[in-house]
Amino acid sequence: MVRTHGLKKHFKDPKLGIKKAVDGIDISAAPGRIFGLLGVNGAGKTTVLRMLSTVIKPTEGTASVADFDVVQDAAKVRRNIGFMSNSTALYGRLTSREVIEYFGTLYGLEGSHLADRMKYVIDKLAIEEFIDRQCDKLSTGQKQRVSIARTILHDPPVLFFDEPTAGLDVVTSQTVMEFIEEARDLGKTVIFSTHIMSEVDRLCDDIAVIHDGVIVATGNPQTMKDLTGEKNLEKAFLQLVKFESGYVSNRTAGQ
Amino acid sequence: MNDTYKIARKELREMFRDKRVKFGAFVMPIFLVMMMVQLFGFIMSAAKGATKSTIYFVGMKTDMSKMFETSGMMVLSVPTVEEGKDMIKKDHAKMVLEIKPPKPDGQVIINAFYDPKQQLAQIELSAIQQALNQQNKKALITTLNEKGIPEAAAEQMKLVPQQVEVGTKGAGELIVGFLPYLIVLFAFSGGMSMASDLVAGEKDKNTLETLLITPVSRNDIVLGKVFALSTVCFLSSLSCVVGLFLASVLKTPGSSEMFKDGFGVTPIAVATIILLLLPLVAMFGSLLIAISSYARNPREAQTYLALVNFLVILPAVFSQVIGLTDLASKLWINAVPVLNSANNIRNALLGKTDWLGVGITVGIGTVLAGIAIWAAVYLFNREEVLIRV
Repeated sequence: MVRTHGLKKHFKDPKLGIKKAVDGIDISAAPGRIFGLLGVNGAGKTTVLRMLSTVIKPTEGTASVADFDVVQDAAKVRRNIGFMSNSTALYGRLTSREVIEYFGTLYGLEGSHLADRMKYVIDKLAIEEFIDRQCDKLSTGQKQRVSIARTILHDPPVLFFDEPTAGLDVVTSQTVMEFIEEARDLGKTVIFSTHIMSEVDRLCDDIAVIHDGVIVATGNPQTMKDLTGEKNLEKAFLQLVKFESGYVSNRTAGQ
Repeated sequence: MNDTYKIARKELREMFRDKRVKFGAFVMPIFLVMMMVQLFGFIMSAAKGATKSTIYFVGMKTDMSKMFETSGMMVLSVPTVEEGKDMIKKDHAKMVLEIKPPKPDGQVIINAFYDPKQQLAQIELSAIQQALNQQNKKALITTLNEKGIPEAAAEQMKLVPQQVEVGTKGAGELIVGFLPYLIVLFAFSGGMSMASDLVAGEKDKNTLETLLITPVSRNDIVLGKVFALSTVCFLSSLSCVVGLFLASVLKTPGSSEMFKDGFGVTPIAVATIILLLLPLVAMFGSLLIAISSYARNPREAQTYLALVNFLVILPAVFSQVIGLTDLASKLWINAVPVLNSANNIRNALLGKTDWLGVGITVGIGTVLAGIAIWAAVYLFNREEVLIRV
């Protein structure tokens, strides 16, 4: 379970003053469901995920992950989450085996438990053929499989995916999405941040649309369409974030 | 297994696979020291050879010119002074001597023509002056003997150099001149190439966030990185001593001149160097990680590192010439960071370890290392380590 209440994150910018990246959001994600966090670039999705994964502290508000407070019990939160994004890189000079083993030890896995979990993820993601190859020499798809292995090795109950398919080809994207679906079926709490509406339609049970740091709508893909009167989720999303044709040029002129 | 150790082990594994570390931190200091031994050995041989070089006399050979031949110099003739000068201008001759006819009082004037910009010519001039002094002294003693005056009258005050053995056997003066500089320099630059990768590079490549999301505390992560980088700095620095040892074992032309009295670096000196290096590399390793944590990206980190490198080079360079001043023996010099380590390494190599100086240096180094570690931990714990834009 993941819950936030009035979660805010304000950054101090030496030139622009206070920047409200996230300004009071309330979300609730349940086990066995995929919660989609939708928003354009810069909407605040990554900042929310970073607060939930304890990398940065909230300016205000509360959040709990797997029943642990992200500020008070940060280490326990981290022990119970897996985090993956498309931009997450691997250590190029280490082999796939070394990367997986390294993160396993950082999550406290040792001895036969570590060996068993490694065997499980290596078999499941078909990593064996390149397990002893340095990560620098892997293809994008192979790297993504190793990233998934690293994410699930410690079997966390909560998984965060920050635009995990952005920039990936169709085949690799398919692997990632199948993995997310399987995680849901295994009863994991999944938070999935994206702006690709076809993936939202396919994967998300619950969604929240975030824009300029605030949530502008919550529900599921169908309620978003009903709310806006659009048949297409992408158009519904654009309406929710108040997209207008010529948006960029008007905004530039206004400035 | 301790989390700091896990992080350090992984960083070391990655660094030892990096060509920049292999060459920059280990091969380079070994190669550089071996090359310097060759170079200095060659210079020493050349300087000695200059005292046995060729000098030209104007006109036919005389008794005077034969005297120089007996002192080991090769003596040749040149017809005229002008031709002799011409040879000097064309760098065909370093020294041309013109012996004038004896004056009524018997004194013989010898004009020595040479190019003052030529260092070898100046060395030859000194050698000739020395040979003439000996000849003059012989003549004076003969005259005194003929008149029944004791020989001591020719030299009423005679200087007799007596060497006093201070400390244990040490390395040669030339080795002591450059080795402390390189040891201290590589304690910093050995880790410099990798420092920007360890935090700023991880930020750039998006691996830092993955690491920060693990249950390992940020303190453990940064201390693991500091420990790994300090280890590379330490090994890079010690590679200089390895290079010196290899140069002495391989017995190349240059090294045979430099190590004619043996390797010279005693086990006590090596132990002292290690003792002095430990706080120094801890300070450098932490400083490098602090800079890497502060920088937005590896390029920015490299810019800061290049500037800080000068702060290390300056005192290190001064340590090369500190022997020309009386500062090396001053107690306060042990309070100057970097220079204190280099100076005490110098003393250790000379076989004259000053244990009070070593103690002060290690003490001050430990305090500074503590401050640098605190700075690295502080900067790494800030949110800006990941999101500073």
